[in-house]
Amino acid sequence: MKDFIKVNNVSFSYGENKVLDDISFTIKQGEFIALLGHNGCGKSTLAKLFNVLLVPESGEISVDGLVAKNEDDVYKIRSKVGLVLQNPDNQLVATIVEEDVAFGCENLGIPPKEIRRRVDEALKSVDMYEYRTHAPHKLSGGQKQRVAIAGIIAMQPQCIVLDEPTAMLDPQGRKEVMDTIRYLNKEKNITIILITHYMDEAVQTDRIFVMDKGKILTQGTPQEVFSKVELLKEKSLDVPQATELIYRLHQHGISTEKLPLTPEECIALLEELLNKKS
Amino acid sequence: MIKDITLGQFFPTNSLIHKIDPRVKIILISVYIVFLFIAKNFGSLGFMTCITVILMIITKIPLKLYFKGLRPVLFILLFTSVLNVFYGSGEPIWQWGILKVTWNGIQTAVFVSVRIVVLIMISCILTYTTSPTDLTDALERIMKPLTVFKIQVHEIAMMMTIALRFVPTLLEETDKIMNAQKARGADMESGGIVKKLKAMIPVLIPLFVSSFNRAFDLAVAMECRCYRGGKGRTRMKVLKAGKIDVIAVIFSVIVLAGVIVCNVMFPQLTVK
Repeated sequence: MKDFIKVNNVSFSYGENKVLDDISFTIKQGEFIALLGHNGCGKSTLAKLFNVLLVPESGEISVDGLVAKNEDDVYKIRSKVGLVLQNPDNQLVATIVEEDVAFGCENLGIPPKEIRRRVDEALKSVDMYEYRTHAPHKLSGGQKQRVAIAGIIAMQPQCIVLDEPTAMLDPQGRKEVMDTIRYLNKEKNITIILITHYMDEAVQTDRIFVMDKGKILTQGTPQEVFSKVELLKEKSLDVPQATELIYRLHQHGISTEKLPLTPEECIALLEELLNKKS
Repeated sequence: MIKDITLGQFFPTNSLIHKIDPRVKIILISVYIVFLFIAKNFGSLGFMTCITVILMIITKIPLKLYFKGLRPVLFILLFTSVLNVFYGSGEPIWQWGILKVTWNGIQTAVFVSVRIVVLIMISCILTYTTSPTDLTDALERIMKPLTVFKIQVHEIAMMMTIALRFVPTLLEETDKIMNAQKARGADMESGGIVKKLKAMIPVLIPLFVSSFNRAFDLAVAMECRCYRGGKGRTRMKVLKAGKIDVIAVIFSVIVLAGVIVCNVMFPQLTVK
């Protein structure tokens, strides 16, 4: 896998307030990344830097080998990296679902027939094809968010950045959106950067970056990151409930080889423990 | 309650009028409105009224809905007819002080009222049979030549689309804010008009603030999707005029001829 996004010593501040402080990392093509951290730790700023809505104060970000130097580069990068925002209501432009999905393609100047094909394909891949002629305001939150994702997919980006896409949704909507994101990553090989507050979502990714006060606190696979329970607790960040439960058992002298991440893993582990005892 | 407000109502049926190209429809409806003012006697006005009723029936939309469209202008209608009744010239039929009713006044009042009613019905046919997206789309294409005069046609059409998109969203939000304020003890129903208007301030301010937030978000979302104005933009749906549009144009030409013929044939029916 080749490097897709390279972040080199990037800093950014809003006036006096330093939001990102000398950050460096690389993201590979096809990876599924989660960005965790408190409000105001710089996650959303980072998301906006990826597709040049903001420009770093110092340092450099390259996307697929491209550094934004002029306006043409900016639009090239934006067609490679799509951004989905938190509030689904505020990102839909048109009065009909399919028109909205077509919006990005229309901006890129793609011929009408090709737009039609892409829009149909994008709507099918988020499972919203039968709603193509509906008005957006009549859809549920999860459906709206999937339409917003379809609008990005239709532009055929290599990477999608999602800034807390499930924060305003009910559990059903959250599940729909997460299923869609996972499908896009696995089947369409699109690089996903998911900013989230939900640990159960972060667990499903390949790699997690934990951010704190404009720096990267720790990074690694979910297993690696969530095994640092003390570090995360110290910064009052959550760990998945399954991890938390076994971690507490550890504190009471019951040790297991590894920490579980999902409820299923946790159940298996507990079963094993109980069997050993009896 | 606030959801009752309807704007740019569209009733999808499979009628022929729905299938006419929106550009052709807008132009033809404008032409019909001009006809309406060309019609100068009761003969030609009656002819136009008949045509309008036939068109209304062809749309397969319940006539009840058309009369609903009249409700907002009912006051203007009454006002103009009353004025016209008293402002006529000629022999008074009935007089009380300076107020006098003349035969000519009554004729003018009826004539003007029918004209207004038909005018509204014709505009209703346009908005009821064309989706808002098609309307703005067609307007953008019709006004395209105006770019020569440095008028930002694309931007205007984009603003209209966004406005239409956000009307239901903002109405919903207004409802939510009103409920939230009521839950805090705000009283919006009682009192006179001044008190009621004052009670709207705590609703309007949050609505205003949230609209700005939405606008910022929308701008970011649009930029993310490579929006950079109308230049170099293509459209998914290409409008193409077909057979039905040709028929519509021919029909309209016949109607225009009819109006002119009626104008000439029934001079005795002209309002005197």
